[in-house]
Amino acid sequence: MAFLSPFLLLGLGAIAVPVLVHLIQRERKRVIEFPSLMFVQKIPYQSVRRRRVRHWALLLMRAAALALIVAAFARPFFPASAAAAMAATGGSREVVILLDQSASMGYGDRWQRAKAEASRVIDSIGGTDKATLVLFSRNAEENLRATSDRGRLQAALGAASLTASGTRFGPSLKLAESILTRSNLPRKEAILISDFQKTGWSGSEDVHFPEGMTLTPVSVATETVANLAVPSVQFARSSFSSQERITITAGVANKGSDAVTNVPVTLEIDGRVIETLPVTVGANASASVAFSPFTLSEPSVHGVVKAGSDAMPADNSFDFVVTPSQSVSILVVDSGSTDSSFYLTKALAIGNTPTFNVEVVPAGRVTPQMLEKRAAVILNDTALPAALAGGALKRYIEGGGGLLVAVGERTTWPQNDADLLPGQLGAVVDRMDGRGATIGFRDYSHPVFEVFKAPRSGDFSAARVMRYRAVQPVPEARVLARYDDGGIAVAERRVGAGRVIVLTTSLDDSWNDLELKPVYLPLVHQLVRYVSQYEQSSAWATVGQVVDLATLLKSKTDRVVITPSGERRTIGANEPSILELTEHGAYQVRAAATPSARADQIAVNIDPAESDLTPIDTGELVAAATGRASQAPSTTTAAAEITPEDAEKRQNLWWYLLLAGLALLVAELVVANRLSEKERFT
Amino acid sequence: MVSNSSGQMAGARFVDPKILARIGNLELLARNVVDGFINGLHRAPFFGASVDFAEHRGYVAGDDIRRVDWKLYARTDRYYIKQYEADTNTNFTILFDISKSMTFASNGVSKLDYGSYLAACLAYLAHRQRDRVGIITFDEDIVAHVPPSAKHFNMVLHTLDQAKPERPGHLSAPLNKMAEHFKRRGILLLISDFYDDPDAVLDAIKPLRFLGNDLIVFHVLDPQEINFDFNEASTFQDLESGEQIPVVPQSFRAEYRRLIQEHIARLRAKFSEQRIDYMLCNTSEPLDKALSSYLSSRQKLARVK
Repeated sequence: MAFLSPFLLLGLGAIAVPVLVHLIQRERKRVIEFPSLMFVQKIPYQSVRRRRVRHWALLLMRAAALALIVAAFARPFFPASAAAAMAATGGSREVVILLDQSASMGYGDRWQRAKAEASRVIDSIGGTDKATLVLFSRNAEENLRATSDRGRLQAALGAASLTASGTRFGPSLKLAESILTRSNLPRKEAILISDFQKTGWSGSEDVHFPEGMTLTPVSVATETVANLAVPSVQFARSSFSSQERITITAGVANKGSDAVTNVPVTLEIDGRVIETLPVTVGANASASVAFSPFTLSEPSVHGVVKAGSDAMPADNSFDFVVTPSQSVSILVVDSGSTDSSFYLTKALAIGNTPTFNVEVVPAGRVTPQMLEKRAAVILNDTALPAALAGGALKRYIEGGGGLLVAVGERTTWPQNDADLLPGQLGAVVDRMDGRGATIGFRDYSHPVFEVFKAPRSGDFSAARVMRYRAVQPVPEARVLARYDDGGIAVAERRVGAGRVIVLTTSLDDSWNDLELKPVYLPLVHQLVRYVSQYEQSSAWATVGQVVDLATLLKSKTDRVVITPSGERRTIGANEPSILELTEHGAYQVRAAATPSARADQIAVNIDPAESDLTPIDTGELVAAATGRASQAPSTTTAAAEITPEDAEKRQNLWWYLLLAGLALLVAELVVANRLSEKERFT
Repeated sequence: MVSNSSGQMAGARFVDPKILARIGNLELLARNVVDGFINGLHRAPFFGASVDFAEHRGYVAGDDIRRVDWKLYARTDRYYIKQYEADTNTNFTILFDISKSMTFASNGVSKLDYGSYLAACLAYLAHRQRDRVGIITFDEDIVAHVPPSAKHFNMVLHTLDQAKPERPGHLSAPLNKMAEHFKRRGILLLISDFYDDPDAVLDAIKPLRFLGNDLIVFHVLDPQEINFDFNEASTFQDLESGEQIPVVPQSFRAEYRRLIQEHIARLRAKFSEQRIDYMLCNTSEPLDKALSSYLSSRQKLARVK
């Protein structure tokens, strides 16, 4: 045994204190000279025995207690066992426990087993080791900072719960890498406890564990799985006696290796079972179930399709919200000639997401009342109507309306309303010579052109623009597209809550051949959708998505959100109305001021990829992350030297010695008191 | 003299042992005590008419012819009457125990000192009334012997002053020796702490009594010897034998007090049976009790005579 502070052993001299006290006590016991002990001798005397027996017992206890306490302060340790322990383990460890809490871990008892594994790892943490608990699903979260406190780690582990999110190994491994890189302990280990879904690892994650870090996979996946999932539903809308009917077709996927037969698939609308159909799905196959059409009378109706039951119930139901389709009302103002709005109206008549309700009015007959309940106004090759000039159009736009100006021969704009346009209209640019102009630059970051971003998504180069009006943009304008000569093709300006877009060439065939090209239809639809602020409401969202509640409730009031688990959240009118969807089920959103109104609903489903429980080869994952085919054995470089401080810290013997010493002192106190009580007057 | 607050008789302040201890000169001490005591008493003691030769005078008719100095008549052929100074009526002998146990002092005044003061005072008193004073100090044997004489007062004081306790004490041997010594009866004053069996004490004293002596016994004890007011567990050492015994006073006290009181009671009973005046002297108490006790005995003696 060695001591970290051997000089403190000088304190062992304190053992002499009780001895000295004992001796002094004896010496101090003064001799009283008495004339005669004639009478004293006649009195029976019993105290000699007591002093000797009691003093020896207590003396030994006191000396032992002092020796233990002094030894504790000298910080003892066993160099041999410390070296052995060090050799066996290779020094202190920095451990990062990566615990998968994605929805797929809810399969059977995987979550419990994973927690048990994590608990085992925590139990193996030594006094000088440090561990970090990282819970991950789509994203990784450092649940508990690096600590040696096993109790806190276990408490954090106990508080961890499953989420409905998908699985991504990338973020968690990157987090582990950064934690381990920061550490200065000799051994760095990441322990990944997961069911190792193949879908969680794309292979392109930029994870590179440097030399010296190890990744230990702990798989809780089972060999054979049986999992039935409803990954999606489709809606088919039809009109029947002026009412909209919806036919729902649900897809049912069998991710198991055994076929399932006659599994009941149930459609529930607003909590009411509408229909149950049996389905038979082969192993690793899919089937679809088409339910009978039903009439949709109310907006925002919550529906659920449920298919059978298995070890992972989260993906056996699919939530959705259906709303009766609504058309977008558009006012087209033109010069009154018969063919100027021909292509435009034809284009807007196509399609049902959304359907456009178009009214074409010559400029001379336009009244301000016509703007009411219009989503957008298109001024197609016409001057600003006198009825709309002087503030009526401006008020309409500021109130959230949209304006699309297609510039042509007849387009003029009064100076009084110049602040509506993204720029001042200039002279006509004639590109009749040569092949004409093309729309060369498009701002794909803008919602209008976003859909054209992907390759082969709209060929603008085929369209020829012979003439256009030059535009001198104002600072607050945003140029969305330019011609090949740099002239502005499309520019936007926000006016109040509304949007104004100017297309500097016409939407008919007078100045260009755009309307003869395939890109015309999507371009017109995108422009009109954008200025009319149309947002297609999706029937469902996936866990992890973020929605802006402002699109659901336009009015600026306090909003109340009720999550699927029943939690009630109030989001103030002035707070950001962003809501992260973390639970599987239907969120209800309503204005706080109208609690009795029908709530808007957001259906949230788990990531369909979570249903695919096929595990990845853990070796492949480790190799990809660490760059080594197999885990190198623990580094042995650190085993060579261990400082006495480390050895002492690992063993912590002083703590036990101190406790033993104090316990002995307490025992001594009790014994001494009892003896003195008992023998005081004997 | 005025009475003090404790109600002691006037003059008692002269006999407080602690004050006396500060007076080095025994004669001065004795004179102070006794004069003060007597003045306070307002009563003359017994001045006996003793005859000690003083001078001759011529015979006149009526003189007792027994007082004619015939030797002088033979030389001068004249009748002369021998005139005597007042002389003691009796021998006053102090028997003083100076064994080692007498050195014990718990309050500053040892039993030996107290006994010395007592002896000095009584000797002075006796000397003043023309008694012959003598002293015998003893422990296990006789240490010093001053025969009673009217002129031996200073020797008595000197002997008291020089008394050094060196040996353990024993009553019977020295007292037996003394008994052989006393030819003429007188007053014997025995001062001791009597650490002996009462029967043995009495056996030792009886021979003195048989000679017709008047015996006054002063039993001198320290308050601690009576009360045993020790608190700490200590080792007690016998002053005479040197033997040591560890003692827990709390547990011993009651029994010790019972034993010492029993011892005192037995001594008192035994002495009273033998018509010996017994006086218990506590060294923390003034001397006046002892003095008045002596005087009353002396008065008794005078009446008997």
